[in-house]
Amino acid sequence: MKTFQKFGQMPIVLTVPALAILLVVFGIPILLLFLTSINAPDFSAKNYYMFFGQPANVRVLFQTIEVSVVATLICLIVGYPTAYLIVTASKSVRTTLIVLVLVPYLTSGLARTYAWIVILGDRGVINNLLLQLGLIHSPLQLIYNTTAVYLGMVHIMLPVMILPLVSAMMGIDRSLMAAARSMGARPLTAFWRVFFPLSLPGVRSGSLLVFVFCLGFYVTPAALGGLGDAMLSNFIAGQVSSSFNISRIATSAFILLAVAVAVLSMLGLNLMGAQARAAAPARRSWVVRLPILGRLKRYFGEFPNPYRAKLWTTQLYQVGDDSRLSNVFGTVFVLLVMVYLHFPGLIVIVMSFSAGTFLEFPPTGLSLQWYRSFFADPSWNGAAWTSVQIGVAVTILSTIVGTLAAYGLNRTQPRVRGFLTMAILTPVTIPVIVVGIATYLGLVNLGLIGSKTGIVLAHSIGAIGIVVVIVSATLANFDRRLEKAAKSMRAGPLRTFMRVTLPLIRPGIVGGAVFAFLQSFDEFVVTSLVSGYSIRTLPLKMYENLRNQIDPTIAAVSSLLMLVPVLWLIVLYLTWWRSRQRDHHPLPELAA
Amino acid sequence: MSFWINRRRFMQTTSSAVAAGALSSVLPASAQSSGQLTVTVGGGDVGKATIEAFVKPFEAETGIKVNAITEDASMSAIELMVKSGNVTLDVGAVAQTTAITADGKGLLEKIDYSIHKKEELDGMFEFAKQPFGVAWPMYSYNMVYNTESFPASNPRPTTWADFWDVEKFPGIRTLVSGAYGSEGPWEEALLADGVPAEQLYPMDIDRIFTSLDKIKPHIRKWWGAGSEIQQMLHDKAVDVAQSYDGRALLLIDQGAPIEINRNQAKLQWDYYIIPKGGANVQNAQKFIEFITRADRQAAFCQIFPQGPTNRNAFKLIPEKIARKLTSNPDYMKSSVTINGQWYNDIGPDGLTNTERLVQRWNEWVLQ
Repeated sequence: MKTFQKFGQMPIVLTVPALAILLVVFGIPILLLFLTSINAPDFSAKNYYMFFGQPANVRVLFQTIEVSVVATLICLIVGYPTAYLIVTASKSVRTTLIVLVLVPYLTSGLARTYAWIVILGDRGVINNLLLQLGLIHSPLQLIYNTTAVYLGMVHIMLPVMILPLVSAMMGIDRSLMAAARSMGARPLTAFWRVFFPLSLPGVRSGSLLVFVFCLGFYVTPAALGGLGDAMLSNFIAGQVSSSFNISRIATSAFILLAVAVAVLSMLGLNLMGAQARAAAPARRSWVVRLPILGRLKRYFGEFPNPYRAKLWTTQLYQVGDDSRLSNVFGTVFVLLVMVYLHFPGLIVIVMSFSAGTFLEFPPTGLSLQWYRSFFADPSWNGAAWTSVQIGVAVTILSTIVGTLAAYGLNRTQPRVRGFLTMAILTPVTIPVIVVGIATYLGLVNLGLIGSKTGIVLAHSIGAIGIVVVIVSATLANFDRRLEKAAKSMRAGPLRTFMRVTLPLIRPGIVGGAVFAFLQSFDEFVVTSLVSGYSIRTLPLKMYENLRNQIDPTIAAVSSLLMLVPVLWLIVLYLTWWRSRQRDHHPLPELAA
Repeated sequence: MSFWINRRRFMQTTSSAVAAGALSSVLPASAQSSGQLTVTVGGGDVGKATIEAFVKPFEAETGIKVNAITEDASMSAIELMVKSGNVTLDVGAVAQTTAITADGKGLLEKIDYSIHKKEELDGMFEFAKQPFGVAWPMYSYNMVYNTESFPASNPRPTTWADFWDVEKFPGIRTLVSGAYGSEGPWEEALLADGVPAEQLYPMDIDRIFTSLDKIKPHIRKWWGAGSEIQQMLHDKAVDVAQSYDGRALLLIDQGAPIEINRNQAKLQWDYYIIPKGGANVQNAQKFIEFITRADRQAAFCQIFPQGPTNRNAFKLIPEKIARKLTSNPDYMKSSVTINGQWYNDIGPDGLTNTERLVQRWNEWVLQ
């Protein structure tokens, strides 16, 4: 009893498990890495001089930034109108569209990059079609160039842009637009002066996420790009493998990290200012600042909330927004974006039923042989089973630790809370190769390289961050008076938590758990560093297969992996549905 | 970690770069002694063939249980293991260049040739019986052309100078990427530029890149993995390619209209080595001895077409299969051999030639 009371007084204690794991697996090693890069204890910038002394390094650094900026801009230009159209669509269409954006977001990146090879290849889908139609005589060079890299990167990053935009736009009170219109503002003016400024937090968080993810890209440039389309991550990977000179690798990693941090801090600061101007409720402000958080919070929050004053605002909105023409344009645009997001996946699914032994489209015949080869080959189903085991362990660990941390953070001072949240989120907000190298060092110190425990810890540092984000979002909307009420009726803190708090935040916890599982199940970069010979997860096996084999087993695996997010969406939906049922019909439950 | 890494590039697979610790923390202590042996056998078809032709018969003959890992061993892994004193990989296969590097750093056990039969040793090529390892298997980089693009009635490219001659032999080309230095289109670039095969080494790095400048605009893709080149040749996406012989042979067996030009083929091989200080060195020596046997090598070649390093193996291989193998005496005469020592030579700037090639390549690709 006393211990619990103490916990109640010092909620920050609840964050200790999360911070401890983070510190040991990631925090201390990254400090050590930094010390190595500056030649501690001598302290010199020698390694940094060496890095910038090589013109190729400087050029590839600028190229990395340039590619990331361009990809981010394309995502924004395509994503903003898409998000706007999603938000203004009717509720059922909107839900469908959000799900359609979420599914590719949750699908294996390896599988999606692979799909583009099939589509753009010299004998790929597009070229074959054009050749058969007689429109061209020799294949167009669609792959192995910068355009292909952008196509692939934007394809992977677009949902990351759209989802925060949607969440920010959903929070905008439509009556503001109506008010502007009623005072004579033309639709464009109303949009530009009212709606757009209010959607800026979404723009910032989306762009931020996309940019930082892009900095760490290397799979896509290597697979789809030409000779010159190297990114700094590719160079780092080469260094890791060819000479394993830890100080040189650390230096490159920190330069990449510095770029990410510079951008994060610039946009992050602005974002707070915008929040203040928008006079968002104090508790919400830090929540929205964290991009995934804001997105998911809105996503989960959206379902239970009946849409306010839907009819008249929507009508006001659309009157004078003239014309079916813009509606037609909008529909076509959204359709095109959805085709872009889903076409590659569909191609892979079709190919997975191929009867041939090569990657060909259209397949020469239909068969289930590659599914059989997946389920019959112990190296495939063994890898899948390993991934499931690791994923479940990561889910359990990070859900418990992350929920505790979120609960603790929710009850600490905002200043401390902001700092600690940032610390917990570091592994999901910096380039993944940096995380990988730091984690590798951390696990070497613990003697856990190549063990399942090691991989679980490595995956957990990212997964905990995601759980904290999602559960915090739910807690932010949680009415603490309910807890007080329970306590006033002499429920102990544990009982209050189990009977009142937990059921109410359960959707958040389940959502966190699902995303934690996916984080682990799809993780490739960090795993490839820390797994060693002995542990083969599914993404590692897919990767080995891509190197050594060219049979469509990989297509079958990718198709199965696309089913995973669909399953998870069903889980999420059911969780929400159950919680809403309770909200709406509390009485029968009380009676029971 | 880079997306396409071919299975021959042992140095660069990051996952295996950290394998040392991997093995140490996973295998229970008891598994490391007694009748056990941990061996890397390579991925894909090579791994399968190695298990069939070597691992299973070895287990049957000696009663030693082999833990065959379908991965490639790596320099970094071996270095980490030996230096941390926790050697859990008993036998590994590494590329020629890597083995020489590892030997230079004192990471490898000496091979005990006293347990080898004289007739087997006599059959082995001289380069194949080094103090630090035995060579197995041999493979090569060859020029492979599409027979529809280059029908027998027309002249066909037979030298690397022909490959560089885009006027006389028009067509889409592909070469291996040089991103990792230890293997790249270096020798081919010099041969194309007129350097005689016997004077390739020491290689003139400036001359390599001047020669590569000329062919750069005509290369569709600098491939990184065997699966890539196999797919490109199958798709007829290229007319003439630099390819592993094994990948091309697989395609020919499947009826692809391609032919291998064995002239100026570049020979490479792996060394089977024993990391220093392991618990099962004696068993490892037995496995190494097993690798050199002509009958085992012959059995392997009939599953997967790679060249024997024991010449006696050819006596046991049907002529039809022998025609496929890169160490066939008929082909050896017109081939060039990779000089692993040159790649490890350290210049006045403290860099090995491999590191220097990587630096130059990184600059060159961005030009």
